[in-house]
Amino acid sequence: MSIEICGVGKNFGNFVALDNIDLNIPTGELVALLGPSGCGKTTLLRIIAGMETADSGHVKFAGEEATHLHARERQVGFVFQHYALFRHMSVFENVAFGLRVKPKHERLLEAEIRRRVMDLLKLVQLDWLAERYPSQLSGGQRQRIALARALAVEPKVLLLDEPFGALDTKVRKELRRWLRRLHDEMHISSVFVTHDQEEALEVADRVVVMNQGRVEQIGTPDEVYSSPASPFVYQFLGNVNVFHSRVHGNWADVGRDVSAAPPDGEAMAFVRPHDIDIEHGPMTGGLEATVQDVHAIGPLVRVELAHASELIEVELTRERATVLNLAKGQQVWLKPRQVKVFAVPGSVLEEYGSGI
Amino acid sequence: MANAEPRWLRWALTGIALAFLFLFLALPLLAVFGEALAGGWRAFFAALKDREALSAIGLTLFIALFVLPFNVVIGVAAAWAIAKFDFRGKSLLITLIDLPFAVSPVVVGLVFLLIFGAQGLFGPWLSAHDIKVVFAVPGMVLVTLFITFPFVARELIPLMQAQGKDEEEAAISLGATGWQMFRRVTLPNIKWGLLYGVILANARAMGEFGAVSVVSGHIRGETNTLPLHVEILYNEYNAVGAFASASVLALLALVTLVAKTLVEWQMRKETEMLDTALTPEKVDQESETRP
Amino acid sequence: MKRVLPGFGLSLGCTLVYLSLLILLPLSGLAFKSSSLDLSQFWNIASGERALASYRVTFGASLLAAMINAVFGLIVAWVLVRYSFPGKRLLDSLVDLPFALPTAVAGITLATLYAGNGWIGRHLEPIGIKVAFTPLGIVVALTFISLPFVVRTLQPVIEDIEPEIEEAAASLGASRLQTFLRVIFPGIFPALLTGFTLAFSRAIGEYGSVIFIAGNMPLISEITPLLIISKLEQYDVVGATALACVMLVISFVLLLGVNALQWWTANRHHGTERVSL
Repeated sequence: MSIEICGVGKNFGNFVALDNIDLNIPTGELVALLGPSGCGKTTLLRIIAGMETADSGHVKFAGEEATHLHARERQVGFVFQHYALFRHMSVFENVAFGLRVKPKHERLLEAEIRRRVMDLLKLVQLDWLAERYPSQLSGGQRQRIALARALAVEPKVLLLDEPFGALDTKVRKELRRWLRRLHDEMHISSVFVTHDQEEALEVADRVVVMNQGRVEQIGTPDEVYSSPASPFVYQFLGNVNVFHSRVHGNWADVGRDVSAAPPDGEAMAFVRPHDIDIEHGPMTGGLEATVQDVHAIGPLVRVELAHASELIEVELTRERATVLNLAKGQQVWLKPRQVKVFAVPGSVLEEYGSGI
Repeated sequence: MANAEPRWLRWALTGIALAFLFLFLALPLLAVFGEALAGGWRAFFAALKDREALSAIGLTLFIALFVLPFNVVIGVAAAWAIAKFDFRGKSLLITLIDLPFAVSPVVVGLVFLLIFGAQGLFGPWLSAHDIKVVFAVPGMVLVTLFITFPFVARELIPLMQAQGKDEEEAAISLGATGWQMFRRVTLPNIKWGLLYGVILANARAMGEFGAVSVVSGHIRGETNTLPLHVEILYNEYNAVGAFASASVLALLALVTLVAKTLVEWQMRKETEMLDTALTPEKVDQESETRP
Repeated sequence: MKRVLPGFGLSLGCTLVYLSLLILLPLSGLAFKSSSLDLSQFWNIASGERALASYRVTFGASLLAAMINAVFGLIVAWVLVRYSFPGKRLLDSLVDLPFALPTAVAGITLATLYAGNGWIGRHLEPIGIKVAFTPLGIVVALTFISLPFVVRTLQPVIEDIEPEIEEAAASLGASRLQTFLRVIFPGIFPALLTGFTLAFSRAIGEYGSVIFIAGNMPLISEITPLLIISKLEQYDVVGATALACVMLVISFVLLLGVNALQWWTANRHHGTERVSL
């Protein structure tokens, strides 16, 4: 089932949680809502689920108006951040809950419920825990029970709020892949909220990057990573070096030619640490810098350099680092391979202007 | 432990605490039963089998049983509204719920006397329709409702606030109706807290003296509760009778303490479960999938 | 606004109606009644000789009882949390006895214990201490009924003190006494004050346990709630109302004080439980 969100806005008092959000989620896609805490991603998810009411705008499921449907009628499976398992019910009863509260004429026979629940528990590979209570499970197990419980009512849409937020790194990676496989098997539209860019890039078909109640960019993981639409997206997805820069004609005074550069004026240039070359000798368009520190971190070597008053991080492969053989205090030249330049936002320019 | 008090100080403090608790708690408790049995078992049972004593016991039970359902329903309703929703004036409402704890029982009795008494606001109307509120059982029920109002709500509000809304929201999103959600999710989660509040409210309802005394009129065999009966016998220098009835109330207090302690243990167990539920990684080191 | 969870209107509505009818309406009836008095009449009653003496007895005895409980309650709470000894859990449960025991029972029992021929009184009277039927008896009764407040307010706070804090103080060279006075005591002081205020405010309104042991001599051992009752028995409803108004205002002030204190405590100290009167 597709989800369509048109012009959704939500305020909490004076705080604008969501500002005119438009978003389309086609049937069968796994979409990540990615952003820092307080960016409105959880609020948006709760509005889709009907747990929160939007102040303005519409939510449509499969093209049909769903804005005023109660959470109970939306046929949405919701997985809570802290799982919200019913603590006084066994795992089996938790999963069976949605089937047991159906109106009498729709309710399945007990044997059928039992079969369905056990099937789901097998799907999440936890059928051997059916008689346990939530407090006796590990975090990852609880997460999968919460998922099985949401799936039991055969939802048209699956919504997950920070599904791996409370788990440790190893379990989180395992569950991530498992969720992806499960989604591929079930072909159900799924939306999950996360603040972890790695998680979003690895699992999702599409990533919606949000900031301060607005959508910054929507795209495939590759699109948002390689061609970020805004400085925020650039900075949020991975490490980045920021150069304060000035654009003349088609030329920013960092790096090489910049296509589609913004108009002349103050600008910021963004370069990923692994998109910078280091040379011993000067070169055209290169920046002079001093080596401050060199750390070998796993397969990479991270070099910290000082350029004017700015600190720059460069990641090299081990081979390249061996060839360069850098030492602290050494004078080198940097050359960005890929730069993205954004104009400094208007307000900053004005402030700059009035300062003169 | 390196940072503990020296041994002599520990002993001294423990000694002081024990002496204080013995003098103020244990000794009076022993004295109630000692005095009750001072005239022997026969006198004790004779005092309890007295017609007036039995009717006082009956009225005490009746008032408590009548009052408790109100306490439960309103306590749960107030806690539901306060713990699960945000609205303006919430802290004022919480303070108002505490109000009956702060007012002197005598003042509570007087207040109802002023409204329903012969010269009170509704007095003329009530006497014209031949309805007796004060110096009768309805007045005693009203003051007991007033006095016991906060117990259940006060117990449930922090409990339900700590439990949050997630489980209820999960139930709704799984298709449960409001009643199904309440009966299958909320009620099992708050049952011990509710019981705790009921135990405290019950103890107070059965033991209330000041407020009930003002509105009861002390009509023997009609508007005497057990605590009032104790007072009357004591003032008539019938020590054995007074202490026999008092010992029934003291026994009730002991039952209350035992029940309260058991419920506290149960609640503590459940909070520990909740605590581990919030820090999932500490639970067990079992493998994530089948062993 | 639409809410996901059901029953907000119903539950809040019921609560407000019940609260208004049962609590607020009756209390405003008191205010209404006393407004029929003019100010000088009110003042005459509220500051009459017997009334003033009753305030002195009530507040003096309550203050003394609350102070006794502050000192011994602190020791009891400390011992119950920090030390272990046989029978500790039993004792811990027993602390709530004054909440569970009807006040009339407490009153006649204490009166009997401290009377000249009672278990305690017979040892005190030969050395010239009379407790029963004197103001001292009032203090004893009020100490009993307000005993749990300080203990129950302090216990969770003492439990919450992190051992690291004491270890840090010790490692910085503080003696045990210094650690207690400079590190632990400031941390538990708001809770102690809250417990003290709760005990005081409960003691002021107490009636049932006091009347049996006080002797109830006007001007000497008559508490304000009893004065209200005796005015009522003399059909002086106006006088009783005026005194009740004074009591009610004091209760409000104390309630607000307790709330402010608990707000203060909660903001200084997380995980503090609210203890009720």
